[in-house]
Amino acid sequence: MSDATAPNQPLMTSDGRLLKDALQQSLRRSKLKALGLISIPFLFLVIVFAMPVFNLLVKSVDDNLINEVLPRTFAIYEDWDGTELPGEAHYEAMFLDLTGAEGIQIGKASTRMNYDKSKWKSLIKKSARKFKNIESGPYKEVMIKTDKKWGDITFWQSLGSMKDPYTFGYYLNAVDLRYNHDKSVTAQPENRRIYKMLWGRTLLVSLIVTVLCLILAYPVSHLLATLPLRYSNLLMICVLMPFWTSLLVRIVAWMIMLQQNGVVNDALVHNGLLDDENRLAMMYNFTGTIIVMTQILLPFMILPIYSVMRTISPNYMKAAQNLGASPALAFLKVYMPLTVPGVGAGVILVFIVAIGYYITPELVGGKDGQLIGNQIAYHLKSSLNWGLASAMGVMLLAGILILYWCYDKIVGIDNMRMG
Amino acid sequence: MSAQPAIRFDKVQKSYDGEVLVVKDLNLDIAKGEFLTMLGPSGSGKTTCLMMLAGFETATNGDIFLNDRRINDVAPSKRGIGMVFQNYALFPHMTVAENLAFPLEVRKMSKSETESRIKRALDMVELSGFASRRPLQLSGGQQQRVAVARALVLDHEVVLMDEPLGALDKQLREQMQYEIKHIHENLGITAVYVTHDQAEALTMSDRIAVFDDGVIQQLSSPEDLYERPENSFVAQFIGENNKLVGTVKAESNGVSDVEVPGAGTVRAKTVNTQGIGGDTLLSIRPERVHINPESGALENTMTGKVEELIYLGDHIRTRMSVAGNDEFIVKVPNTQRQSMLKVGESATIGFQTEACRALDV
Amino acid sequence: MRALGIIALWVVGLFLLAIVPIPREGLLAYVKPLLLLIAIVYSIYRISNGMMPRYRSTGQLLWQMTYIGICGFVLFFLVAPLIAVIPLSFTSKAFLNFTPEMLNFDPAGYSIRWYKIMVGDCSDAVVTTVCGDKWKIGAWNSLLIGLTATFLATVLGTLAAIGLTRPNVPGRKLITAFMISPLIVPLIITAASLFFFFAKVNLIATFAGVVLAHTVLGLPFVVITVTATLSSFDHNLMRAAESLGGGAWKNFRQVMLPLIMPGVISGALFAFITSFDEVVIIIFMGGADQLTLPKQMWSGIRQEISPTILAVATILVILSVVMLTTVELLRRRSERIRGISPA
Repeated sequence: MSDATAPNQPLMTSDGRLLKDALQQSLRRSKLKALGLISIPFLFLVIVFAMPVFNLLVKSVDDNLINEVLPRTFAIYEDWDGTELPGEAHYEAMFLDLTGAEGIQIGKASTRMNYDKSKWKSLIKKSARKFKNIESGPYKEVMIKTDKKWGDITFWQSLGSMKDPYTFGYYLNAVDLRYNHDKSVTAQPENRRIYKMLWGRTLLVSLIVTVLCLILAYPVSHLLATLPLRYSNLLMICVLMPFWTSLLVRIVAWMIMLQQNGVVNDALVHNGLLDDENRLAMMYNFTGTIIVMTQILLPFMILPIYSVMRTISPNYMKAAQNLGASPALAFLKVYMPLTVPGVGAGVILVFIVAIGYYITPELVGGKDGQLIGNQIAYHLKSSLNWGLASAMGVMLLAGILILYWCYDKIVGIDNMRMG
Repeated sequence: MSAQPAIRFDKVQKSYDGEVLVVKDLNLDIAKGEFLTMLGPSGSGKTTCLMMLAGFETATNGDIFLNDRRINDVAPSKRGIGMVFQNYALFPHMTVAENLAFPLEVRKMSKSETESRIKRALDMVELSGFASRRPLQLSGGQQQRVAVARALVLDHEVVLMDEPLGALDKQLREQMQYEIKHIHENLGITAVYVTHDQAEALTMSDRIAVFDDGVIQQLSSPEDLYERPENSFVAQFIGENNKLVGTVKAESNGVSDVEVPGAGTVRAKTVNTQGIGGDTLLSIRPERVHINPESGALENTMTGKVEELIYLGDHIRTRMSVAGNDEFIVKVPNTQRQSMLKVGESATIGFQTEACRALDV
Repeated sequence: MRALGIIALWVVGLFLLAIVPIPREGLLAYVKPLLLLIAIVYSIYRISNGMMPRYRSTGQLLWQMTYIGICGFVLFFLVAPLIAVIPLSFTSKAFLNFTPEMLNFDPAGYSIRWYKIMVGDCSDAVVTTVCGDKWKIGAWNSLLIGLTATFLATVLGTLAAIGLTRPNVPGRKLITAFMISPLIVPLIITAASLFFFFAKVNLIATFAGVVLAHTVLGLPFVVITVTATLSSFDHNLMRAAESLGGGAWKNFRQVMLPLIMPGVISGALFAFITSFDEVVIIIFMGGADQLTLPKQMWSGIRQEISPTILAVATILVILSVVMLTTVELLRRRSERIRGISPA
């Protein structure tokens, strides 16, 4: 950095301060000013965005619900060796817990317990009602008499995996695994395995859509970038119009195009290319999801590739041809390598957006076009398994943040442009 | 000039939109080994001509020949013409060596041949140590040299250059002018050079074609171009020039008597007038005008008023008001110090008939 | 412009050829598709040939035709569905496809009844179609929520962008990445997060909750566009203003703001359209009182699509064209102000 001729005397300002300090100080003032401006939007985003997302993360590992209902039971649970039915103390603790807790809490907890072992919910619901009539012990005997399941050791064993106030159980569930009562991990029973397939399908759909977008976007971007401006501006409208149009409008438009009696089928039949009986099924299935998502995401691919291509001087192609390369070779060896940054940006952008899609598959995907986003929505709104929804959300988010990081490495977030 | 031209434009026209001709009826022969510069303001059609020669634009009409072979319909890659582009067009994703190897690889040259050619080309432009750098790691001048080396790595007989020095600063530009000139002389290639910088054109060229409005206004050696401009555009575009407007009264033996309002009759060499009675523009170079000449020594004398004096060391640039033109410049050599002029004074000026050319208005 | 006219004529010709009915049987059944194919290939040939130099080889021409063909297909693929919506919204029937009357340009095939139903005029409504004020209410709510969220996002985003483009900001990259992250995080995750969080603070099913959520979504757009505008802003102008003795607010109002205005407005438009089109957040935490246009469309699509939705869609397509034209004009204006491109 500095050279050997630097004076030994430190530089001073006219009013006798160290120049370095003075610089630091003025720098600090400018930094503070900048941070002051940023602080309001920053805080806003922290409160209304970052904290909720963090809360989601907490929710995905939070398993305190059962602990709140069964504190006595869990306090002495470790004393039990787990080989045969527990003693009177455990039954008493369970009895007191169930009679002591609020009904609404018990309901929530039992739902949660049912995720791990079915029939817990019905057992607790029934028992909680009947326990009210029981005055005194010995509880073990009475409880088993109320319901035989209290004498079933597997129910007691399943409590083992519920004891911890934090759990990775939801994450395991999200990939078709679960905890055994001894906290070892096993696969879900066959009929409950759907998530791995869904993750796979989500990746597959995103991949297909990304590749299709790339194939379709590359020539169009090239055309737009090489045509004279007055023509390319006109064609650009074709790209920007869908970009600016409401997502739902585009979906409605595609429904009209692709449905059984839609424009495409009608046109094909009308022109004798298709028999009336054999109309193509292009909507409410996997194909529909792919077609519609490709059209919706295509502008996200075209715009970055186009903006990179626009900066490539036509002289490069001319120079390559002047040096003897055929247009095809010049394109392959000179033009294509120069477009890599745009392609990288487009690919990552489209993939990121595709992987989190929810609305489109929900409306046009039918049964075999549903993605992980739809499953999150289902657990959020219908099954109310919020822990699982959170866990899946966090996993999705982690994947996307990795891709976001790659995007930053390749293009730089500063270079993100709109329209 | 040799009998067979290396390059020939025959009645070439070019229009982009079918309405306006940017190149109008171009006829031009370029001899083997010649350094020809196309000079003109932007939009004059010079770059279009170069691009037609390189094959990146097609002529709307007419033919272009390279060594008597019609090349209108030959692809740019098959023309065998080297080219240095404006801003160089060095491939930014390849090293210097890879840039130079590009045309050699395309022609499937052997590895050893490729290496020796790259080395020779880099030696020629004195960049031997830079083979593995990328273009953006080089200075402007170095990039320029690489561009020249790349255009020459295939031993083409014809090299085109499209404002190759435009991006360099003044000092580097002058240095590169001489280097390109020397390379041209050493290799004996035919060079077609496009520029809008007249000093560059005068320094480097064997012949200069001055373009304006899609037409070659004059094609001649640098000396002829400066000393004997054939029309008022050339006279004004090349070098400094004093203008006087008048009417031709009589004409004989190539000399016109021109009536200039406020200056009487001036005898001028007839170059490009519309005959007797027509208006004409007289062009006189500033260094050919004498201040206070001995009476009778010069054919034309008149009086003018000194408006401004600028001391420039070797001469004093004197702005005068002559016959209603207050931008009349006279370069007074510093040897005449004794007869120093003062602003506001009147002085007699004079010039030879030979130095005054009667041109179109 | 003449070329455009020719292209338009071709498109109309192809379209007419495409809708002419053909007999089901006999040789004629094959003639029309063949004719259509020839017409399309010939158009591609003419365009390709016009773009190529005379020395092209046949192989190169075929390549160029493939290229033009693909480009034509892609552009068609992008706009055709949106264009198809417009005539269909004027159907007189309750079906979502082109009726024979419409294809024959029979006036009886067309009507504006679905537009009437959209604005709540139920005189032409059939028994089966839902008719009411829902679209009007939805549009009003969307506008209200959109404008409020846009205002907040624009103010906050502009502040952030100005701060981020000042020299010596510590951790600039990280902060920028954070500011833009709502754009990257899938909507369903944002919706889930805000759903849980707002439930705790009683903001579910409130106007304020929806507005705050939409502000978060719109903020990145403002940050991006204003930062882009500021990156070419000459900071010496502000120094000059300071040296002339103006206060910080006055300098901002009179020097910086006018110059970055195009970027601010573009960002605001992006933020507005984001809120105006937003579905996921609103269906997760909007209550019955926050019925917006997208929410009404969402339920319309899921129950049964009536042509009323097409009428709404047509309006929204036109709105999008207006928006994109505005943004484009603003971009050019901003470039002109800053002297990037001549006029």
